Amino acid sequence: MKAVADLITEARVAKRAALDELAGKQLLAGFGVSVPRSIVIQDAGAAAAACGSLKPPLALKVMSPDILHKSDAGGVRVGLNGAAEVEEAVRGMMKRPAIENARVDGFLVEEMAPAGVELVVGGIRDPQFGPLVMVGLGGVFVEVMGDVAFRICPITRLDAGEMLDELKGAALLRGARGRKPVSREAVVDVLLKVGGEGGLLMTHGDAIAEADINPLIVSEHGAVAVDARFVLAK
Amino acid sequence: MGDVIERFRPLFEPKTVAVVGASTKGGTLPNVFIRRIREFGFRGAIYPIHPSAESIDGLKAYRSLGETPEPVDYAYIAIAAAQVPPLLTEARGRVRFAQVISSGFGEVDEGRALQDALATAARAGGMRLIGPNCLGIHTPRGHVTFTEIGPEETGPVGIVSQSGGLGTDIIRRGLTRGLMFSGLVTVGNCADIGPNDLLEFYLADPQTRVIGLYIETAADGRRLFEILRAARAAKPVVILKGGRTRQGRAAAVSHTGSLAGDDRAWVALTKQTGCVMTTTLDEFLDALLAFQALAPRPQQPTRRVVLFGNGGGASVLATDQFARLGLDVEPFEKQTVDELTRLKLPPGTSITNPVDAPVGTLQQEDGRVAEKILELIYGSGRPDALVVHLNLSAFVGRTKAEVLDNLVQAALRVQARYPGQAHFVLVLRSDGEPALEERKRAFRARAVALGVPVYDEIANAGAALAALAFHERFVYARS
Repeated sequence: MKAVADLITEARVAKRAALDELAGKQLLAGFGVSVPRSIVIQDAGAAAAACGSLKPPLALKVMSPDILHKSDAGGVRVGLNGAAEVEEAVRGMMKRPAIENARVDGFLVEEMAPAGVELVVGGIRDPQFGPLVMVGLGGVFVEVMGDVAFRICPITRLDAGEMLDELKGAALLRGARGRKPVSREAVVDVLLKVGGEGGLLMTHGDAIAEADINPLIVSEHGAVAVDARFVLAK
Repeated sequence: MGDVIERFRPLFEPKTVAVVGASTKGGTLPNVFIRRIREFGFRGAIYPIHPSAESIDGLKAYRSLGETPEPVDYAYIAIAAAQVPPLLTEARGRVRFAQVISSGFGEVDEGRALQDALATAARAGGMRLIGPNCLGIHTPRGHVTFTEIGPEETGPVGIVSQSGGLGTDIIRRGLTRGLMFSGLVTVGNCADIGPNDLLEFYLADPQTRVIGLYIETAADGRRLFEILRAARAAKPVVILKGGRTRQGRAAAVSHTGSLAGDDRAWVALTKQTGCVMTTTLDEFLDALLAFQALAPRPQQPTRRVVLFGNGGGASVLATDQFARLGLDVEPFEKQTVDELTRLKLPPGTSITNPVDAPVGTLQQEDGRVAEKILELIYGSGRPDALVVHLNLSAFVGRTKAEVLDNLVQAALRVQARYPGQAHFVLVLRSDGEPALEERKRAFRARAVALGVPVYDEIANAGAALAALAFHERFVYARS
């Protein structure tokens, strides 16, 4: 794995506005946040050789600096059972107009995270206070209801816990509607690795204009950053 | 921390004051300032600075800040904006603090460059700068004030206000409520000294126990966060933040040239440092009064509140409001109810919590029955806070005048018998009728002298207790 600081430097040298998904996840992994096991393939033909080491079901995502919203472009497939399905899915993707005409760096093949509650963990840079870390419940909770909590970095373990308690949908984490409670400790750990002392935002906050881990899927066993996007500061 | 006190001593306890902008004919703001500090007991040297006059208000005048007999601890400057930078440059290192009252600097587009020139001139002149675009400083220990006279004794409340006019309101309305100030500095556009510097002073200042900040912008929010985080809520800090909405931010730009910033960061700041955020001037003053009068009890954060007074509907509304603020007005346990029952209070008296005692009950034994009820509440109910509310209007034409006196005295007597056992708060409700207001003023003065905070409405008391509870919970969770 590349040194974490090099990921940002490389993206800058390549004049990219953001880290690609693989680099973003490597950055997170460098700070101890769990990300899915993955490999990158260049074309459909490479699938068979590459997928053997991964445990299905698998997710496939196109990697392109030209495509901001992978799902909208038809660049995401999930629940693929093995190499043959991955190979076919890559061929299908290559025919999508939005992908056919884009610069494609490759395809990310990932193990899928166990089902759980979807959270969003983010970071922004405030001109007066510096890096802020954010947590919210995923999907409609963040987008429509704005159910999020912010703190100024660095946060303490107590701050991280209070952020979760502050969410209106906090009951979902405790196992509402007959579900098992998810690991609160795992979420707190991710918040500390992103926004705590010596965490990602305290270390690289000057270089990162916006961080968005969406979703962070949390089950009773732990939390996995399933998608991550880091917009670089100008 | 000791040196921050020393650094600011010439500002809070100046021995020499220069006044720039006073006229030989009198009537200007600087003339008024000279009169005010004399009335406030300032006994040091006052040096009017004037280009030609021999004397002003009976004081010998000098040509420049660099020509006074003694160096100047504090200079009060209110002249046309463009004239200020050359004036400061001429100080030649002989001025410690200069407060520039004049406006026409960074709060208007055409004044931005002039504000930079002002800051440069202050550095060249070797002084620290307060303002521009502010009103002055109120420092009882230094006998200097920009307002009409207030009590000369130094209190526990230290204030920084980015607005001058609001600073005046804070002093005048605060004094009416019984607030006592350790200092109040209006900082305006903050070309040099800002809220962070004065916050550090107040945190270190042994006279200051409570700090209030009216802020529109934190030019260095990171430093504000770090100062407050390091302080670990050792002294309660109450913030009144201007510019929390899109429209308010636009207003702040034209007021003090402030970029008010992301409100989410301010909310986060309060949660991480235990500062209390308030949204109106009244809430701000009410919270400061609670912190001045009531010692926080972080070992047992305020939660259980007993309401006692006259007014059934008012009690129900107050119970709702307290609940929304996270304060519980829960019914008493059986033993307390039994003990209250044995008092055989007249029908119409509600002896659970809230305790609603109509005038007919309260006038028994000329008002002394309240003492028995309060004794029981303290001894048996054991609340974290006790709010006694009296609707003065309801007594008019129904009882002898001394009934109200007796009630207020009874309440004050009982709370003195249980020191530190529960936060005790008095609410005196009135309808604005002049004679009633006059009695209320007298009651308030008596209560405040005994360290009991008095509020106009139960809702104000609720918000102030919630502020206290927020501080207590923060300290409790982090100790």
